[in-house]
Amino acid sequence: MIHQFKNNGYNIVMDVESGSVHVVDPIAYDMISVLDEISGSIPLSSVDGDEIKAVPYEKVRDIFAKKLPSYNEDDISETYEEIVWLIENDSLFSDDIDSDIIKAHQEGEDIVKALCLHVAHDCNLACTYCFAGKGEYHGNRELMSFETGKRALDFLVESSGARRNLEVDFFGGEPLMNFDVVRQLTEYGRSIEAEKNKKFRFTLTTNGILLDDEILDFVNKEMGNLVLSIDGRREVNDRMRPRLGGQGSYDVILPKFMKAAKSRGQMNYYVRGTYTHYNLDFSEDVKHLAELGFEQISVEPVVAPPDEPYAITKEDVPKLLEQYDILAKYVLDRKREGRGFNFFHFMIDLSGGPCAYKRLSGCGSGTEYLAVAPNGDLYPCHQFVGMDDFLMGNVATGITARELRDKFRSCSVLSRPECGSCFAKYQCSGGCAANAYNFTHDINGVYDIGCTLQKKRIECAVMIKAATAGL
Amino acid sequence: MKHIRSLQTRNLKKSLKKGGCGECQTSCQSACKTSCTVGNQSCEKAR
Repeated sequence: MIHQFKNNGYNIVMDVESGSVHVVDPIAYDMISVLDEISGSIPLSSVDGDEIKAVPYEKVRDIFAKKLPSYNEDDISETYEEIVWLIENDSLFSDDIDSDIIKAHQEGEDIVKALCLHVAHDCNLACTYCFAGKGEYHGNRELMSFETGKRALDFLVESSGARRNLEVDFFGGEPLMNFDVVRQLTEYGRSIEAEKNKKFRFTLTTNGILLDDEILDFVNKEMGNLVLSIDGRREVNDRMRPRLGGQGSYDVILPKFMKAAKSRGQMNYYVRGTYTHYNLDFSEDVKHLAELGFEQISVEPVVAPPDEPYAITKEDVPKLLEQYDILAKYVLDRKREGRGFNFFHFMIDLSGGPCAYKRLSGCGSGTEYLAVAPNGDLYPCHQFVGMDDFLMGNVATGITARELRDKFRSCSVLSRPECGSCFAKYQCSGGCAANAYNFTHDINGVYDIGCTLQKKRIECAVMIKAATAGL
Repeated sequence: MKHIRSLQTRNLKKSLKKGGCGECQTSCQSACKTSCTVGNQSCEKAR
């Protein structure tokens, strides 16, 4: 499968199955398009032993002449030689990856390697769009005890098999409302690393209200990643992220976040925002954060029931796609000026990214990644916490809902027919199960708006790679 | 080549031979929390 698109003056061809990306001139772009069109009726290659042989020029010459009359034959012939080279080097019209190998791999051992620890089901903000229902997650306000958290870390170690790197995200609600337990659990984790031959990678996600120098020192010492929640411009942030009394949070958190980012050398953190129907010009929020000096930025679409007034609608999509194009050009401009920053959804690792197994197995929710409620209950991920149908067990007893785990294990690109023909399948790995469930009541469903935005982000990311490679 | 220039990419098919160690980051632990993206992550073995 190939995917062709034009963006910012670049003609780009992605060979999906091999992962190759080509920047081509107009004649090559049009010829590859013709070949794709006829590939159902004329085999574009044959295999002879270990060698791939492209269809001879004589067999396609007349088709090119008929479909591309504006190009002269010498140019077509010359360009075809280059196309042949790509086909015969398995980087254009490459055959599908053998999904049976992936499926067999997915049916392997039961491993848990990452936990989202909900140390506080309580919050000191009243964010309008909070999927946790202002921190309570469909339940009561509750803090995780050290004993429950300790049991969660033990459960993680016991369930991780030979995996050495274990991830723990301190999440909420607002985790700093239970900072003593965060500190104790971090210290406990460190104390067992050598004995258990494990390495904990801790992350803290915070709204910043309680972030102070003492906590920041601790976080900088112990947390491999820090996620700082802020939506962008003051009026945008304060509309959706008010304090409990109704006043805005921007002025309180911004100085703390700027200090935190600087103290971490502008690395290993994200300022992380959510955009909604109310700020469809969200590129301005990203620009705002970049102008403030933040170098690691993630701003993402809200996940919300369609009847909420702030939910993204289908009618919003064209404007949002345009916003990503604007943002991609801005990212490039800043880079050229020597003031580059990372926009999370434009980051793509083409040369050293994950293997095909990872790309096709999704985020691992419900299998290798679980969320832990304050009382120790296990859920497939943070977005399912508090939903009775998705209770998987408890850290004291382990996973008891084995059928549910098996359902999540089989949830991937390979389980969604729509993903099979999608060029983005190796980049998004089938999307978010929680998103799919929210919109289709099925974890194997497809959230159309999310897919459309995801595909646009990938195109922008690839274009940025082409531009920064000097092609 | 005159008409086509290729970006340096990892061959996904070859990654089947040595991949699958499972040591890489879980995608939701990075920044997203509401969307799944793996293409921006790094292979632990390639670090």
